[in-house]
Amino acid sequence: MFALRRWWNQYALKAGLVVLVMIAALSMRDSGGAVIYEMYRWVTRPFHPGPSREAMLQSSYAQELQQRLVELESQNRSLRQIVEGDSSPADEGTPAAVIGRSAGDWWQQIIISRGAQDGITPDDVVTGPGGLVGRVIAVSPNSSRVLLVSDPTSRVGARISRSRATGYIQGSMGQQVVMEFFDKIPDVKVGDVVTTSAYSKLFPQDIPIGRVVALDLAKSPAPEVTVELTAPLGIVEWVEVIPFEPRDITMPETRDTLQEVIPNREGTDAVEGDRTP
Amino acid sequence: MTISRSVSLGQRRRYRWINIGLVMGSALLCTLLLPMRLPGMVLFGVAPSWLLMWLVAWSVQRSGVEGAIVGFILGLVHDGLTGYFPTHTLGLTLVGFLTARIQKQRFIQEDFVSVAIIVFGMTVIAQTIMALQITAYHLVSSTSPYPGVPAIWLQHQRIALSSAILSSLWAPAIYYPLSRWWAHYEQIMAPPSN
Repeated sequence: MFALRRWWNQYALKAGLVVLVMIAALSMRDSGGAVIYEMYRWVTRPFHPGPSREAMLQSSYAQELQQRLVELESQNRSLRQIVEGDSSPADEGTPAAVIGRSAGDWWQQIIISRGAQDGITPDDVVTGPGGLVGRVIAVSPNSSRVLLVSDPTSRVGARISRSRATGYIQGSMGQQVVMEFFDKIPDVKVGDVVTTSAYSKLFPQDIPIGRVVALDLAKSPAPEVTVELTAPLGIVEWVEVIPFEPRDITMPETRDTLQEVIPNREGTDAVEGDRTP
Repeated sequence: MTISRSVSLGQRRRYRWINIGLVMGSALLCTLLLPMRLPGMVLFGVAPSWLLMWLVAWSVQRSGVEGAIVGFILGLVHDGLTGYFPTHTLGLTLVGFLTARIQKQRFIQEDFVSVAIIVFGMTVIAQTIMALQITAYHLVSSTSPYPGVPAIWLQHQRIALSSAILSSLWAPAIYYPLSRWWAHYEQIMAPPSN
């Protein structure tokens, strides 16, 4: 008892501080570092890429192309409406500046300058110049954290846009990602464009991802190709956040499908692909 | 020393609060540096481990328990910034403990070079623990979202080596001001000699 009291007299302040700091650290961990990222955003504010740069990026030529694209998209939508009879209005995206990179070496994340106050919620989809960048996994009032496609835990349901061969891509911490197919003999060749598939739960379909650069079709258990991402994840400065809710997919033909069971983890995309006999 | 005799109680109290402020402030600064990529801070896409450098500077002069507790707290903070798995707490706790336990008088002198060497070794240890966690996850669960074990250890080589080189180069920038302040603080707070 006496020893305890002596210890207390000697270390009361230290012990109190340690407990306080530990509680603060725990609550910070649970909030996903929101306080730190808010502070980070405030500190780095003078260095954010400014609107002049944005204007430079969106040069008049790009704007012209965009206008044509909008025109084509609307035509496409109306044609699709005629064929399929359903309409899915495209949501407006929020532009955001990239203000930081992943705080740990084992993660592939970026920090962007928009947060909950700009209407961003977790699971929103992030695209950039070149295509898919990733998805929002944590939000603080004025910043959010994006899990990049290149993160090893990120899985995106994808398909070859030419042949519609489906599979999923998995990040490997670099500009190149690996795509695995559900078919044993997929129709794929070098140079094919890869987009998100319609069976992806976490991403809307038809967002460009990258281009096939190498084939390894003999690989067991599933054939595998290497895909070079078109969005330059290492140097991307501006991204667009598209609101998106994860959805449940109703498979067109459940009997004939190969159910790919993928663990339900943060960043993984449960994909179910159709199988051509 | 004449200074240590002439400080009053109020001054000591003030110094204590300044010390707490500086400790928290410098740790916060290191945390804020984590998402930053300034020129000279990236090697093969890997950034220096700022919190580990701070932890080594802290633990070098302190006991193993103090080093371990602070390592654990910093690990919690770092986890908040990235994700819960693999956790930083294990690696940083061990680093804090080991750094404090190295018998510096016997093995290595305490200067910039030896601090840089300690940081190099400790970064490798911390990154190895991260890779071990992912490997263990692979062995325990068959549904691991991570790539295979060989790929993990290939990544580990790249990350551990570049992070260790960068961190040991930047370590004096964190260590020097902190150790100077703590030496000054010890001098002020030392009980009068007569």
